[in-house]
Amino acid sequence: MTDERTVMIAERVHAIWCRELQNDDVAYDDDFFALAGHSLIMAKIQRAFVLEIGVEVPVDQLYRNPTVASISAYIESLQTVAT
Amino acid sequence: MILPGKRVPLPAVPVVHRRFEAHAKATPDATAVRWAGQSLSYRELNAKANQFAALLAERGHARGAKVGVCLDYSIDMLVVILGILKAGAAYVPLDPAYPEARLRLLLGQIADLAAIVASPATAELVDSATVPVIDLAQLADQLAALPETDPDVTVTGDDLCYAVFTSGSTGVPKLTAVRHENWFNLLNWLSREYRLDRRSHNLVVSAFGFDLSQRSLMAPLFCGATQHLMASRNFDPAMAYRLLGEHDIRVVHCASSTLYVLVDWEVAAGGDTLSRLDYVLFGGEPLHVERVLDWARREGNTCTLLHQYGVAECADVATSFDLAGYRRGEHDVAPVGRPGYNTDIHLVDEELRGVRTGEHGEICIAGRSVGAGYLNGSGPESARFTTIQVHGAPVRIYRTGDRGYVTGDGQLIVLGRMDTQVKVRGMRIDLHDIERALGRLPGVRQAAVVVGRTDSGETELTAFLVPAGDEPAEKDVRAQLLKALPRNMVPAHFRTISRLPLSPHGKVDRAALLDELRTTVPPR
Repeated sequence: MTDERTVMIAERVHAIWCRELQNDDVAYDDDFFALAGHSLIMAKIQRAFVLEIGVEVPVDQLYRNPTVASISAYIESLQTVAT
Repeated sequence: MILPGKRVPLPAVPVVHRRFEAHAKATPDATAVRWAGQSLSYRELNAKANQFAALLAERGHARGAKVGVCLDYSIDMLVVILGILKAGAAYVPLDPAYPEARLRLLLGQIADLAAIVASPATAELVDSATVPVIDLAQLADQLAALPETDPDVTVTGDDLCYAVFTSGSTGVPKLTAVRHENWFNLLNWLSREYRLDRRSHNLVVSAFGFDLSQRSLMAPLFCGATQHLMASRNFDPAMAYRLLGEHDIRVVHCASSTLYVLVDWEVAAGGDTLSRLDYVLFGGEPLHVERVLDWARREGNTCTLLHQYGVAECADVATSFDLAGYRRGEHDVAPVGRPGYNTDIHLVDEELRGVRTGEHGEICIAGRSVGAGYLNGSGPESARFTTIQVHGAPVRIYRTGDRGYVTGDGQLIVLGRMDTQVKVRGMRIDLHDIERALGRLPGVRQAAVVVGRTDSGETELTAFLVPAGDEPAEKDVRAQLLKALPRNMVPAHFRTISRLPLSPHGKVDRAALLDELRTTVPPR
């Protein structure tokens, strides 16, 4: 896993969060719920991960990793296992 | 105005788990439940539930007891629920997705709770309880030694089967109880009217604490079909959609907002899994029919959409409407249809006198679905269960607090609430409950919550806060509230205000706050 790849996943996750939360001002360690996130937005983010990044992230993991930084690390760990 | 439901006789002993036991006898090898790749047949599930009922009896939890269930969706959850019913007791769902502080508040509202069933994953959440906590994982050996046969416990239609928490009107959640007769009548109506049978396999997609989840949990077992449960504490759309496709699931019960999520998923992914279901039974909040109509009318969509209305106090569903009958232009609001079996809808004015067809009134429910009432205290809500005179005879009704009318062709239309209650993503919420929680936070002197709508029509809450001293940081308030309330109750926006506008009667003027919302741009 290269650093470049790490950065790339985090950037894509960040872009999806900004779009679905309708908020351009999301920091990598901002909490999803503190950004007024809720279950319907969570569903849109989960769907975007499937359609745009190609990973199915369980909702329980989205709740456990409520920041761009932590969910990106989780997605990376999935892909490490897969390859 | 009375909208009568069809009269259909019930068995002399309308007890829900007797139906399940009959299937266990008739089709013992049929699959009763699937979860995380594991499954149990009807015989196996019945045997385990009997052993759990025997364990409850051994511990002195007999007929009439109330047992809390704080479990994630799992095979054990069904073992426990059926075991509690077989013991003649009633279960109280304690949703493990709620914060510990909320569960503590709910536990404080259950008088005479006998015990709580928890798992290693949930035990910490109910630490505050003063009653015994039963952990199945630690009792495997003990349970295996108990009899697998149906226990000899008399249960009648009058016995309580479950009690769920729902919003009150004074900031304290109410624990509303349902009797076996109520629940049996509901399940009997749905299964006979819509011909649900042992092929009507079900997937549960709603949160355990919701009233609708109780019928979703029991409906397939009432029909001899397979119950599919998700190995997820929170609703997981990707997993749900995948399971619908992988298994021969025919029926889903859900809140309207969950239906939107599933429809959006299907449209975005280009699938047809949802379209090929037999039924989606949905409702529980105002329907934005545009969110589902295009999908519903696509060629090849054979799924019947049942738009339903009801309240937790009356076994959850009172009326049902096949959305195929919805006509744009003819209906402003999608109807919720006609009453279920042995259930009547009364529309009354403030004096509880019937209004005429087409006239607006309060929706009241009568008949065999009217539940046992609230178990926690005698708050003002208890007066909602009352008796009116109809043609000289007394009729017990439940006043829902919902406004509506009946169309010329006999369809019920629901217009909204008469008080400060609101539905957010399917959950019935009392704004005072949120205001109380906000008022307890150190930085907040006073709070008022108002209801708005997002651009896509979803209900959204905004809290106006009067700070106690220095201005409270929004993020801090939100973070603290998330520890105290279920997520659907945490407002989307917070605004600081120097004082709350008051009406001439000295109450908080919500209309003025709504004006404030409309006329000022929300801070991002």
